[in-house]
Amino acid sequence: MKKNLIFIILGLVLVTFASLRLANNNTVYYFTTTEALENIDLLDERVKLGGFVMQDSISKNATNTLFNITDGNTVISINFDGYVPELFQENMGVILDGVFVNDTFLADNMLVKHDNEYISEDGEVYDAKNYSK
Amino acid sequence: MKKILIVVFLWMLVIYSGPFDGTQGISSKFLYMHVPSVWIAYLAYSITFTYSIRYLFSNSPKFDSIAVSNAKSGLIFTAITLISGSIWGKLTWGSWWVWGDARLNLTAILFLVYLGYIASRKFNSDLNTIAKNSSYIGIFGIVQIPIIHFSVIWWRSIHQQASILSQETIASGNAPISSDILIYLLIGVIFTTLLHFLLVSKFSKLLDIQWENYLNPSSRAKI
Repeated sequence: MKKNLIFIILGLVLVTFASLRLANNNTVYYFTTTEALENIDLLDERVKLGGFVMQDSISKNATNTLFNITDGNTVISINFDGYVPELFQENMGVILDGVFVNDTFLADNMLVKHDNEYISEDGEVYDAKNYSK
Repeated sequence: MKKILIVVFLWMLVIYSGPFDGTQGISSKFLYMHVPSVWIAYLAYSITFTYSIRYLFSNSPKFDSIAVSNAKSGLIFTAITLISGSIWGKLTWGSWWVWGDARLNLTAILFLVYLGYIASRKFNSDLNTIAKNSSYIGIFGIVQIPIIHFSVIWWRSIHQQASILSQETIASGNAPISSDILIYLLIGVIFTTLLHFLLVSKFSKLLDIQWENYLNPSSRAKI
């Protein structure tokens, strides 16, 4: 019984450690616009950049989509050359993959990041106070 | 089997009639499939964990049956989670699978761990040895669940944070979800829970027969 217990605890520790290491090493972070601008000189490789699409900033030329993203504090102009997901729109969170050329971010891959809000058409938000009776 | 089909039908009805998110449109209906499924997977593997420990310390076949049947049902619900999440990801994010996301990868590993658990039942011909070995997998596998749950907080990536089982929601009592969506979601959880326990009772009957044959080989000979 005691041998069992030692084996279980050792195993749990090992599996936890391995899972955390695995997730830590393989998770690709994205930079917020502020973080990216602070380190813009260091970012000479491909990076991921995340932010919210600014209102009235979307325009299109022959091949590319141009828009600005922000994290609320700083703004970066995006020159996007790739498949635009259906849900791409103003105020939506996006994660872009690309490189900085001067202050513009040239991106060729986009993911739309949905937040944890789910609002139905009637728009009523769940509020515990309304249901306390 | 009939009961199972009825509950599946009721669950489909919830998905069909549930309201959808204004921005996401129809694809948000996967919410009623994805979220209850993964909660049931959490529940199933937690029961597997508990009964694997109990089996290891008591060697009672009943506990092994419960552990295995929960793992089987959990595996089905994990598969539903992965498939529905992947389709939703294609429709919302624009990608079937994001390899850099911790939650996605860890959930795939979770699936493989319990697939291994089920597979390990075939590695030996002696049921006692089998049950003992798979108990260890059932115990070690549980580690994944808290890591998956907190992965969206620990590692910044594409998967959205929890809407209901989050600190903010529990502290304030307000989920960032419309009340009608939330109600349908909770009805979905009730049906999936029901479905889970129906599946478990079905699977555990098979396991009980297996144990019965193992412990009393003479009764097997008559058949």
